Amino acid sequence: MKKICALLLALSMLFALAACGGSAAPAATEAPAAEEPAAEAPAEEAPAAEEPAEEEAGDSDLSAIQAKGTLVVGITDFEPMDYKDENGEWIGFDADLAKAFAESIGVEAEFIEIDWDNKVFELDAGSIDCVWNGMTLTPEVLNTMSCSAPYCDNSQVVVMKADAADQYPDVESLAGLNFAVESGSAGEAAATDNGFDTTAVTTQADALMGVSAGTSDACVIDLLMAQAMTGEGTSYPELTATLTLTSEQYGVGFRQGSDLLDAFTQFYADAYADGTVQNIAATYGLEGSVSAP
Amino acid sequence: MFQTVLLSLTEGFGKTLEIFALTLLGALPLGLIIAFGSMNRFKIISWPVKLIIWVIRGTPLMLQLIIIYYGPGLILGNNWWGSGASGRFTAAMIAFIFNYACYFSEIYRGGIEGVPKGQREAGQVLGMTNTQIFFRVTLLQVVKRIIPPIGNEVITLVKDTSLARIISVYEIIWNGQAFIKSQGLIWPLFFTGLYYLLFSGALTLLLGWVEKKLDYFKV
Repeated sequence: MKKICALLLALSMLFALAACGGSAAPAATEAPAAEEPAAEAPAEEAPAAEEPAEEEAGDSDLSAIQAKGTLVVGITDFEPMDYKDENGEWIGFDADLAKAFAESIGVEAEFIEIDWDNKVFELDAGSIDCVWNGMTLTPEVLNTMSCSAPYCDNSQVVVMKADAADQYPDVESLAGLNFAVESGSAGEAAATDNGFDTTAVTTQADALMGVSAGTSDACVIDLLMAQAMTGEGTSYPELTATLTLTSEQYGVGFRQGSDLLDAFTQFYADAYADGTVQNIAATYGLEGSVSAP
Repeated sequence: MFQTVLLSLTEGFGKTLEIFALTLLGALPLGLIIAFGSMNRFKIISWPVKLIIWVIRGTPLMLQLIIIYYGPGLILGNNWWGSGASGRFTAAMIAFIFNYACYFSEIYRGGIEGVPKGQREAGQVLGMTNTQIFFRVTLLQVVKRIIPPIGNEVITLVKDTSLARIISVYEIIWNGQAFIKSQGLIWPLFFTGLYYLLFSGALTLLLGWVEKKLDYFKV
């Protein structure tokens, strides 16, 4: 009987705890919700004031961002475009330029690491304001976002085991090999255009892992990524970048029809004219890659 | 380098534990409420509840996370979660708690309906009220019966927490994967497995201990 009593007591304690947890969770739910109306109220009012001019609904993007005071930049950890310095601060060519752009429209830049596959979701749902992370301007990207003019050049390269590289001096010799490519990436498009036999994987990193593990003969990835991840001192010292398949360009993505794009175009022209862009590029060794507006 | 990785993984694992603990705290009681809803003799209550259980159990948790976090902004045009980490975490918690509460509710239902009807009738003959019968006769047996299936779900939950990364909640897998992109290191991702193994090992011991404690009466 005593034991049953003890058990019941223990159980009631568990439920009491559970009740605490139950009320703690809604409290946490309310906290951001409570902040939200305050932050959003001015933004909400701006389009309401312009309601009669309906075709200008997309126009409110810039003013909405200025009202909330932050430009939320969707990024991934991608050296040398966006990465953390030793203090945990986001730096890189894209990050520095994004900070300068945010300053030019009078707000602060806030960087959020996102799942790259969900970038369009994040943008359309309004949880980020732009995608700015060495994004290749592919037809898919151009169709789903309002993209800036290209600001940086990149290329797609073939990566394979260094000891096999000599046997494949040109594109023709690559026929018959199995290529790992990131699903939906520019590398996949380049491989398909050349008629290669491809296997789609989730990330470029997975593609490299496949080559290293021998499940694929080679992969097609970004030149910048290949430089950062193959050779001495990386996880893949035995891999090397060989042929360049295509060159491509990076752009910044905004919500479709957003007036933020015009603000960016203006900013980039000014920043290029006064040398800011070239200076930042030189900091990260990209001075040869930036494009004139 | 090893220290940096360990620090980052441990920080991510803290988030994993947070998701785990809050999900259990929310889903265990909510599951009981849903169980009573689905067993209600009024069809007007039990049918909608069963419909919800069907939808939640019949769709991937990953999809539920995406709908709960991106849905308000995409469909309603008002992203009430904001863009910061707290909104993402809250959205993830709501998805996890609802999902697991539905699984728990079916386990509770099985446990409650598994207690022989004769015991209830015996209680009524002795003049006990329905509440007394539930708390003094049924509940204890239910607790003993449901520990193994609940334990199963709890262990699954440990690993399901990694799904939160889909809406950028930075748990341990996210932190492990980050090293692939930033440093070209693949071992941190594999190393996260050790954290999961140790934690689920500890949980297995705990569940075994609880079962043993309840071993003194046979059903």
